[in-house]
Amino acid sequence: MHDAQTKLRETAKDLLVSAKVDLVLGFQNGSLPLRTRPCFARNAADAGRLVWNRLCTNNLAVYLPRLFEKPANVRGPWTPPKVAVVAKGCDARSIMGLVKEHQVIRENVVIIAMPCQGMISLRKAEAAGASARTSKLDGDDLVAQACLECIQPSVPGANIIIDGPSRSAASDRFQRVKDFEALTAAERWQQFVAQVSKCIRCYACRQACPNCYCKTCFIDQTKPSWAGVGDDPTDLLLFHIGRVFHQAGRCVECDACVRACPVGIDLRLFTQKLVKDVEELFGYVPGTSLEEAPPLSTYRPDDSECFITDP
Amino acid sequence: MTLGAIKKEHLGQLVAAVGAHGGFYGPVLRDNDVCLDQVQPSDTLVLDYANFTLPPKGLFFPRSEVIATHGADGMVETPLPTGKAVLFGVRPCDAMSLTYLDKVFMEAQFADPYYRARRERTLTIALACRDPAATCFCTSVAGSPSGQGGADILAVDIGDALVLESATPAGEAFLAEYRKLLGRPSDNQVKARDAQVAQAVRKVSSIGSDGVTARLQASSESAAWEELAERCLGCGVCTFLCPTCHCFGLYDEEVGPQGRRVRAQDACVFPAFTLEASGHNPRTRQGLRMRHRVMHKFCYTAQSFGDIFCVGCGRCIVNCPANMDIRETLTEVPP
Ligand code: SF4
Ligand code: SF4
Ligand code: SF4
Ligand code: SF4
Repeated sequence: MHDAQTKLRETAKDLLVSAKVDLVLGFQNGSLPLRTRPCFARNAADAGRLVWNRLCTNNLAVYLPRLFEKPANVRGPWTPPKVAVVAKGCDARSIMGLVKEHQVIRENVVIIAMPCQGMISLRKAEAAGASARTSKLDGDDLVAQACLECIQPSVPGANIIIDGPSRSAASDRFQRVKDFEALTAAERWQQFVAQVSKCIRCYACRQACPNCYCKTCFIDQTKPSWAGVGDDPTDLLLFHIGRVFHQAGRCVECDACVRACPVGIDLRLFTQKLVKDVEELFGYVPGTSLEEAPPLSTYRPDDSECFITDP
Repeated sequence: MTLGAIKKEHLGQLVAAVGAHGGFYGPVLRDNDVCLDQVQPSDTLVLDYANFTLPPKGLFFPRSEVIATHGADGMVETPLPTGKAVLFGVRPCDAMSLTYLDKVFMEAQFADPYYRARRERTLTIALACRDPAATCFCTSVAGSPSGQGGADILAVDIGDALVLESATPAGEAFLAEYRKLLGRPSDNQVKARDAQVAQAVRKVSSIGSDGVTARLQASSESAAWEELAERCLGCGVCTFLCPTCHCFGLYDEEVGPQGRRVRAQDACVFPAFTLEASGHNPRTRQGLRMRHRVMHKFCYTAQSFGDIFCVGCGRCIVNCPANMDIRETLTEVPP
């Protein structure tokens, strides 16, 4: 782990000093125990602050679309930056998706593939108490559910590979979804409503998600306005159904929304249900390749329609 | 100033006695989290929490509320809340935040009838902190882990009992009304309380924010704001969770043939907050939005209300998904 960090710093420094990239997006130590924070490294000194450990949870791909957008205050021609990203498997899958959706210029991104052993879940660590925080940081006890269920800890599309111990892919990640599917429609609805009624509409789930790059989210539109602003259950449900369904065939299961939610809503269950549906109906796993077209932007005569006719 | 004391095991009786006359809101477990909620007969009060994720402002100034409906009969305003309520267990920082919200919603040029009705019907019993969190910095912003500001009564946990002290006439009246349950503390209990208060305040670290208002004011053109905001995701966590953030919008919504007027909290970190009808937005970048949020709390309110509108609760630090830390912002933004 420490070797990987040393190599990462050297790599980042080389990239910046040789001007191969303008920016390295990575992690630095945070201000709280068990927290790192995103680091925008622009020079050798910044590169020396980069860290790599099991607390590098954020999905840094979220910052890419805005870096490739011409800033409002720039007039005349503008050259998009060259950006290196310190990437886990999930971050790189997000980048693949963003490239396919034309939000990221592939040639301008250097993916630095990191060895990932699974990231620590802050919630699990807090629940385990202070002593466990230090003693259990190495095993799988405090690893986030999303990482325990990760199908691809290796990094797709890597430009530079930093070696180190990494976890192996999970075989069955859908147990919770299967349990959920086994419930009656009424029970599933009840569970969904119980979860989303806790929502305070802070939109952290949306803002932390690399896929939510829309200039104006449907929930913020006013002409027409699709939902009310308050906590009327209809409006809360509409936001969540809209958010979740816009992730179909796109969510890479990085857990960014779950981590960001301040009130601990089980968003993963609902996005994962769609992930499973898309995988089963269209045989598509988001972010694994650059070539395969996303199911929602292609049409095949034999496409499944059962989700419309038999919900 | 009147004193009272109650054994922890008798708190349920107090809840029941008060509950007979109105609502009793206190710290209870909901979905494995300690929250402030109306206490039900099946609930047990929880007393060992650092603080709640959501601030108490929602009880007075909810995330959203329907203030009027309109239909064939014209506009019907939502009736003001009535009846008495007791709010028990807010931390002193959050109690303090209510005094700031009062300045905005009750003491400024226009009083807000809904906020005022809820505040006036509520008696607030703050619970002093035994173990302030590492992110607490109340003592740097005019507070204290056993501050009485904003509370009618301050309760201090001395282990097996709570020692109460009134801070307002309403608090005094409450102690008198429930004297049977809230007996007078023994000398030893008072000593234990004083020791508790003294140890807690030592646990809160100072963030060195002296002169912050002037310093920030000089920083308004600093490039540091853009650099800082680079990692900000522009979510509403820091504003909606902040006990003193108080911006709101009014919205007319259609519901079938009827309409409703909704007042909902808004957040200055969202681009739509300053979006004008013409389509122009004066705050184009996240740096400008973040600067506004910090300046509003630490400069503008200091100028217009005489107080910094931050109580040091640390919610924005703990919950920010990008680990922005207001303590760093305050001390590190250069002019
Ligand atoms: S982060 Fe959580 S509380 Fe905030 S909008 Fe999303 S689901 Fe709701
Ligand atoms: S900021 Fe102060 S009053 Fe608030 S919870 Fe922390 S120690 Fe208590
Ligand atoms: S909580 Fe953090 S990321 Fe969200 S708007 Fe506030 S500072 Fe930005
Ligand atoms: S700015 Fe942050 S620390 Fe200050 S009162 Fe608001 S949430 Fe608490």
